[in-house]
Parts: sequence; C-alpha cells; structure tokens
Amino acid sequence: MIFVDHHNHCITMTKTLEIDIRSAEGLKLNRKPVMKKTFAVVKIEEKSRNSNLDESRRSDPTWNYKTEMPINGDAKFIYIEVFYRTGCGHDKKIGEAKIPTNDFMGRYSPQGHFNFLSYRLRDKFGDKCGIVNVSIMVKSDSTTGACSSQAAETGLWRPRSETPSIDGYGGRIVTGVPIWCVAPTNYYSSCVP
Amino acid sequence: MGGCLSGDVNGGKQAIGGVQQRPTSSIPNNAAHNDAVDFFFRSRGQYPLFSQIELSLSALNLVDRDITSKSDPMAVMYLRKKDGKLEEIGRTEVILNDLNPKWIEKITVSFQFEAVQTLVFHVYDVDTKYHNVPVKTLKLQDQDFLGEATCVLSEIMTRPNRTVTLNLTGNFGAGVNRHLGILSVQAEETVASKTVVEINFRCVNLDNKDMFSKSDPFLRISRIVETSAAVPICRTEVVDNNLNPMWRPVCLTMQQFGSKETPLVIECFDFNTSGNHELIGKTEKSVAELERLCLQKEGANFVYPSFSHGNKVLKGQLLVDRFVEKVQYSFLDYISSGFELNFMVAVDFTASNGDPRTPSSLHYVDPSGRLNSYQKAIMEVGEVIQFYDSDKRFPAWGFGGRTSDGSVSHAFNLNGASYGDEVVGVEGIMEAYASALRNVALAGPTLFSNVVDKAANIASQSLSENSPKYFVLLIITDGVLTDMVGTVDALVRASDLPLSVLIVGVGNTDFKQMEILDADNGRRLESSTGRIATRDIVQFVPMKEIHSGHVSVVQALLEELPGQFLSYVRSRKINPIGAPAI
Repeated sequence: MIFVDHHNHCITMTKTLEIDIRSAEGLKLNRKPVMKKTFAVVKIEEKSRNSNLDESRRSDPTWNYKTEMPINGDAKFIYIEVFYRTGCGHDKKIGEAKIPTNDFMGRYSPQGHFNFLSYRLRDKFGDKCGIVNVSIMVKSDSTTGACSSQAAETGLWRPRSETPSIDGYGGRIVTGVPIWCVAPTNYYSSCVP
Repeated sequence: MGGCLSGDVNGGKQAIGGVQQRPTSSIPNNAAHNDAVDFFFRSRGQYPLFSQIELSLSALNLVDRDITSKSDPMAVMYLRKKDGKLEEIGRTEVILNDLNPKWIEKITVSFQFEAVQTLVFHVYDVDTKYHNVPVKTLKLQDQDFLGEATCVLSEIMTRPNRTVTLNLTGNFGAGVNRHLGILSVQAEETVASKTVVEINFRCVNLDNKDMFSKSDPFLRISRIVETSAAVPICRTEVVDNNLNPMWRPVCLTMQQFGSKETPLVIECFDFNTSGNHELIGKTEKSVAELERLCLQKEGANFVYPSFSHGNKVLKGQLLVDRFVEKVQYSFLDYISSGFELNFMVAVDFTASNGDPRTPSSLHYVDPSGRLNSYQKAIMEVGEVIQFYDSDKRFPAWGFGGRTSDGSVSHAFNLNGASYGDEVVGVEGIMEAYASALRNVALAGPTLFSNVVDKAANIASQSLSENSPKYFVLLIITDGVLTDMVGTVDALVRASDLPLSVLIVGVGNTDFKQMEILDADNGRRLESSTGRIATRDIVQFVPMKEIHSGHVSVVQALLEELPGQFLSYVRSRKINPIGAPAI
C-alpha cells in the first residue's frame, strides 16, 4: 500500500499480520476461575476484531480465531483483550495483554515465520488474571520501489538517510521526490499525455 | 456430603491418558524408553535385547489414611538394582478418593529376556495438591505410604493372561503386618505405531444423576483385551453441571487403542467428589465406528446395564464432532531423515569457581593430569553431543571472565580467536578451555543472558535457510546466577526458536535457581515484559547426581531433548525431511 502525504513523500510501511488467537488459560475474575462464555479481541491501533464466543464456560477456553489485519510499520504494540459474556448478553472485560511488536517483527522473526507467543493478561487493577496464547505471522505487502517509473528513471528517487523504524527485513522508508519540484519544464513536457 | 472432604478435587477432575497437543507440554514421564538415549547406545553396537512392555496397575482394598475422605492413591514403580538400590522407573497418575483405584497411566519398562528384573511397587496416598502439577514432581517423602509389593518381571510375562496379583505389605510400627490390600499388575507389549487420532466428543440428553443440580459428566474410554477384561486408556476432563457436555479433544495413539477395529468401551460417568462416580451410560464402538459417526453426523445411544431387563437403551447419545487421523513421527524419524542437531558450549569463568591456581578450585588444572569438574563435564557431555552433531564444529564461549583487553565479557570466544568462535571436536573444546584458563581472569557476575542471546541469534538465522536445524546450547556452570531476571528474559525470548538449553551444574551449590529455570513443576517462565515462554526449553542436570551413579550422563542430558524437539516441530507441523505431508 503506497501513501503520499502532504509533503509528497512516498511512504511504504504497512504490513499484514496473520493472527491466530488460539486459547487462554488460568482466566480469573476477582481471583476466582472464570466459568463464563468468553471471547477475545485483537486491537491494532484503532482497529479491532472479535473472536468467536467459546461456550464451554471454562477458565481455559479455545478459540483458534484466525484473522488478517493491517499494521502500520511503526506501531509499537498490539493488544489482546479477553471478555466474558454475562447472562443478560453484556460483555465485560476480564483483562488485556500488551504485545510489543518487536516480539514478532524483531531480530528473531523473519517474515513468513509463525511466531507462537504467550502473554500475561492483567485486569484493570494490574493484577494477573491469566495467560493468552496466540500465533502471529507477518506478511508484507510493502514495496521499496519508486513511486512512479519516471521517478526511478531520473534517478531522483532515493531512500531517506535516517534509520528505519522496522528492524531487519526490507521495510525501509523511502522518500520519493516528484520530478517537477526539481526540473519542472522537463517534467511537463514529458508527462503531458 | 461434600463439605468436609479433603483431597484435590480439581486434580481429580483432570483429563488423563490422552496425549496433549499444546506446544508447551512434553512427552509424559517415561524414564525407561527414550529415543535419543537408545540411538546413542545402538550406535556403539550396544543392542539390548529387549521389548517394550506397558504395565497397567490397579489395586483393591487400600488402607484409608485420610480422616474425612478416602486416600488419593498413586503408585510408583522401581527397578531393584544389583546393589539393592531402587531406581524409579515411572509413576501412575493420582486418583481422587478411591480405595480401589484402576490407574490409567501406564508405566513402560524394557523387558530384558536374559536379566532378572525385580520390580518394586510403592503405593502412596497423595496429600499435596496435584492439579496441573506433573506427577513426577510430587515429593514422595511428603506423601503417606500405603504399602509395597515386589515381583519379577518375567513372572508377569509368563502368566497366561500376563497378570499378577500381589499383596501389599508394610511396616506401620507395632510390628504387625496389617492387611494393606492387593495390587494387580497387567503387562502388554507396546506396538510402535505412528498413527494418532484426535477426537472431539460431545453428548446430548444425558440422564440427571445429581439431586440439586445437573450431572457432572466425563467419559472413560477402555480397550477390551483378549481376556475380555477392559483396560482404561483415557479419561476426559469433567464438565460441571451439564447434560449436553462438550469435552476438549482427546488424542489417542494406536498404541493405546490397538487397531481401528478393536472394540472400545466408552462409559459416561457423573463425577462425585466422594470418588463414587455414577455410571450414566455406556456404549461400545471401535475407532473406525467413531469415524463413521463423525462422517455421517450420527449419534450412538448409550445403554444402561440392568439386571432384570438386560441393557436399557437411553435417550442420551454420544456424538463425534471432529475426527482427525494423523501420523506422529518420533524423534528418531526426524534425526534419521537428516534433521541436523547443532551444539554450542558455554563455560562459566566467574570467580565463584575459585582461583584456578588453588587445588580446591573447580577450574584447577592438576599437573598430574587428573581432570577437574569442568574437564570431566566437557569430556562426558562432549561424547554425547559429538555423536549427534554431524560436523563436530561447535561454537564455544566463556562467560563472566576478564579477557586480555581488560574488560569483563559475558560471551567471549573460548578459543581466544577474533575471527570465529568455532572449535572442532571435544578435543577442540578441551584445548580452548585450557588456553582460556591461561589468558582469562575469573571475574563476574554470573549471567547467562548473553550466551543465550548468541545461541538464539544463530538459531533464528537458520529459520530463513532451507535446511532444517535444531540447536542445543550447553552451559557448564557452578550455578549461582546474579541476574535471574535477565536470564529469564533471554530464555523467554528464545522459547519459540528451534533451541534447547541444557545446563550442567558442577560443584556443590544449592541449584534451586536452576530448578526454577528448568520449569519441571509446570510453571512457565515469565519475562519482565509480561511475555510467557512458549515452551520449556531448559533442562538442568547436576553433575553430582551423575557421579553418584543415580543416573547416567546420557540419560540425564537427553531426557527432555526429544520432547522439547518434538514440541517445536509438531506445533509448526514440520515433518521429517521427505516424509509425506500429513
């Protein structure tokens, strides 16, 4: 996905995550094991997806909920929240886990590699209330090519000099400068259809 | 009623016998049969003439040691060695509140035709909590002893129905041998087969057996053996208060169910904390018939055996929501297909070992040529790793020492070279160690995190290559960690990689910290950032246990390795090279 912001910079830095919220264990509400129907929610920035409802009423539910979500390359965390459903159909939060993106987009995880990860869930008081097990795989649809073929030909496309925010595998931030900024007359004459 | 009952009710409601599929669980305790160990011995021409035997245990009329409820019995089996010492072979599970237990967990032993194998059984009443705690971590001295029985393995094998009944004896003061009950042992040869079935069971319309609430059902699956006795092979967990229960998937090996045509008895019980579970109904189906039930989306009605009317057909039905048959390869299948094991070694150079010039130091190099603890550990352990690592080139590091440039390093090349950290063969490790002792000053603190990170880096780089590799980091240390948090963090970061960490402890320290890292008590390691270890990748062995003859080096080191390796490859559905995809 390629965006052009108001500075006319070409930024290519979204990735797609293949997330599988597999299960949770030791779910506790007020220090007692949860015996209600539960579901999980994965939240990346403002977007969220809900898993199916596990109806077994156990403190170690299994969801195996698979979904794909886009993620911005400079996101630092994603969140997994676990809810229970009350008898009246209301959803109440049990706890959440904060997952650093470095754990699956870092030194030890090449693209296309399934990361099996587990995290501590904490409730609103910060107390431990269980563990959630997920698997995350990074699929990339970023490109490091130029914004347009003409930009590449003139050689004015060049990568930004600062260090990239994603560690390790080709997700570089590139700056494409429209040709007309540099050589306006030439551009207009060659681009007018 | 339920009010004054003791015993671990949660423990009594756990599933038993089905193979768990979570990446973090390792192969159940099976001290006598270990692929990695067998392979090592076979390579040296040591082919023990044996066959694998599975023993099923049950008891009658056990003594009641608990005051307000019945005993929660567990049986432990030992082999009596030539010097009279007992070597533990295995344990059954704990059964709640039952003086006539029929244990489901089998104990495997190698039956050696030419040897006289004396088996000793001890039965205990388990007093401590055992829910979600691996049975092998239960400390026997904390439990109540219920009795002992002895027999010779060949005696069992030569009986027509391969069963022997023994009287339990014991000395409870007073010098009088009370009648402590009977222990039955039944033997069966294990058939090595790789087929595994995973079944999701569900029931509808079960009869209500409880007065003020609904039944708490669970299933028990038994196999009918030739003598028409039923041997239980697994038990689901208990679902509370539900007449239409759905259980977690049950995973059975062909070893457990025999063949797809072997009739299985599936009984549905209502769980009672008193231990007297009431039968709701039963049905008889083979694995093939269960598969048919799943495909045709049909249910099988339960029957209730009654004296007057024969079998009464009930409304309650057994349904199979999911039936998956797959092949489960063994550790040896992977190794022999070309999966490479790569070893790395890290040696402790901290000052707690003692000044190498003094004879009491663990690093003292005796001019007479006698090996010190580190050298002995390197030699003995090196033998094993050299066997499994085909190219015999090992990265070797030291940690906690002050190198020639004056700074303390927690991961310096043992060979002192700047170009690379590899040494060749066990001799290479010994040479590098000797030269490092001359050039590196012992310092501190004791941290494993740097060497674990280095090993994790190497393991993660191999992920992008095509040839499948598994890495083993061997850390030889005198054992007291200064930075437990940093070490745990490094181990948790590495827990999702094809890596195992074997820690060998030399010297006489209290290795309590190492036992926490080993996580044998079932507590997964948790990092300071809230991440939990994906799997248990650590195994710890104290050298003094090996030297006391308690266990062999090979056995101790390789005990958990096949399990850790398999938990990695199976969770990612990686097959042996060239094997057909499941």
